Amino acid sequence: MIEAQGLTKRYGGLTAIADVSFKIAKGEVVGFLGPNGAGKTTTMRILTGYLPPSAGSAAVGGFDLGKDGRSAKRVTGYLPESPPLYPEMVVHQYLAYVAALHDVPRRERRDKVARALTACGLEKVEGRVVRTLSKGFRQRVGLAQAIVHDPAVLILDEPTAGLDPIQISEIRELIRRLAAEEGRTVILSTHILAEVDAICQRVLLIAYGHLRLDARLDELRAQGSLEEVFVREVEAAALPAGRAALVEAEL
Amino acid sequence: MNRLFAIAGRELRSMFVTPDAYVLIGVYMLFAGFIFFASLGIFLVQLQQIEALGMMQLLEQWNLQDIVVGQSLSTFALFMCFLVPLLSMRGFAAERANGSIELLLTSPASSGEIVLGKFLAIAAVLLVVGVLTGSFVALLFLYGDPELWQTLAGLQTLFLYSLALAAVCCFISTLTRSQIVAGFVGIAAALLLLILPVAADSSQSDVLKDVLRWLGTSTHFDPGLKGEIRSEDLAYFGILIAVFLSLARAAVDSLRWR
Repeated sequence: MIEAQGLTKRYGGLTAIADVSFKIAKGEVVGFLGPNGAGKTTTMRILTGYLPPSAGSAAVGGFDLGKDGRSAKRVTGYLPESPPLYPEMVVHQYLAYVAALHDVPRRERRDKVARALTACGLEKVEGRVVRTLSKGFRQRVGLAQAIVHDPAVLILDEPTAGLDPIQISEIRELIRRLAAEEGRTVILSTHILAEVDAICQRVLLIAYGHLRLDARLDELRAQGSLEEVFVREVEAAALPAGRAALVEAEL
Repeated sequence: MNRLFAIAGRELRSMFVTPDAYVLIGVYMLFAGFIFFASLGIFLVQLQQIEALGMMQLLEQWNLQDIVVGQSLSTFALFMCFLVPLLSMRGFAAERANGSIELLLTSPASSGEIVLGKFLAIAAVLLVVGVLTGSFVALLFLYGDPELWQTLAGLQTLFLYSLALAAVCCFISTLTRSQIVAGFVGIAAALLLLILPVAADSSQSDVLKDVLRWLGTSTHFDPGLKGEIRSEDLAYFGILIAVFLSLARAAVDSLRWR
């Protein structure tokens, strides 16, 4: 469903990610793990067609982002790090707008908006102005806009950042349900290990722009605690050898 | 097409659920109304003076059209230099500041649709402004007999001029996250375009003189406001709109690279 082939992104002299490749099958829920600044957001922005890669290619839902970006974007739902909301809009109008933007035909819009509202537990606030919502509800509206056009692929960038523990567990539950019920493919980025533990089946670990690990969660658990694996891999990536590889990739 | 109208519709709705558009249009109407009323008053006083002095030849040239309609419209054109940048400064600057630009750029909408959608929304507001402005002038038809076609030509020129400024400001708002910066730079650009022909007069080189004069907006709206529609002026505003919307599209494209 998602395929990344040798993705590299440079910002001027800085290499954000280098030669990242992976494949994600339909229905998989994958945790994109890594310390802050590792390149998670950059990778996700490439997969959503927001940024073009400096090298390499990516395909979502079978559509190459470089060749047929519009079709790829149509099947992708994306929640950026800060939800892309318009503070002055009413919740259900906002969702109808996002649906229209993603080519949902007019007659289906009302239906899809209603489904997204229900799925994210937003029925009670559908008539509220976004500005007046609490942070937890805004995050839910962000999730609702990502699923309103019924995408096959969901890309969520730190969906629980900045929420309180109750909101975090609610959002996790929601993501689990969205993934399970519709058979969606989900990538979510986080630096919280427990989150991966709670939601995902598979882990991609990225550190210093390099993909360090691609494994099923149950295999990892056999190797020890997730935390040990995380620290070991990130430290290994930070070693001079890791740096050397980074420089090499740049050349 | 659906995406284009979705973007335009959202933009338009946002302008009217916040007080911004009402306040801006209200203040414009207040000033425009004052100027119009004042120029009408001056016209009447002058008319009485001429009659009292018995200068009938002068009376022939002293008409309502040029003095009241023409003069007011040129003043309204100056107001546009403030109204249009303030109306369009939100455009892309606000999207970039609150992160919603990421929604637009990861949606199937193309950069062209995004720019055109925003421009259409402002154009719709400016059409309302044009109609409201026209309603003053329409009052004259109740009490006098201004030239209908000349008046309509003047209003059309004012509208076209405001559209051209909107395209310029649309581009400017793609360059910054700050609405204030977009607004001020927009006002500066509009005023600069307005006074270019003045700079032309003081330039030494003939070529430069012609170029500056052609670039200036006032060169192209002055005849129109007086009722004379020239195809070169229509072409000028058309080119201005096309060039700046293309620049805006390129700027939106380049957001993906940053």
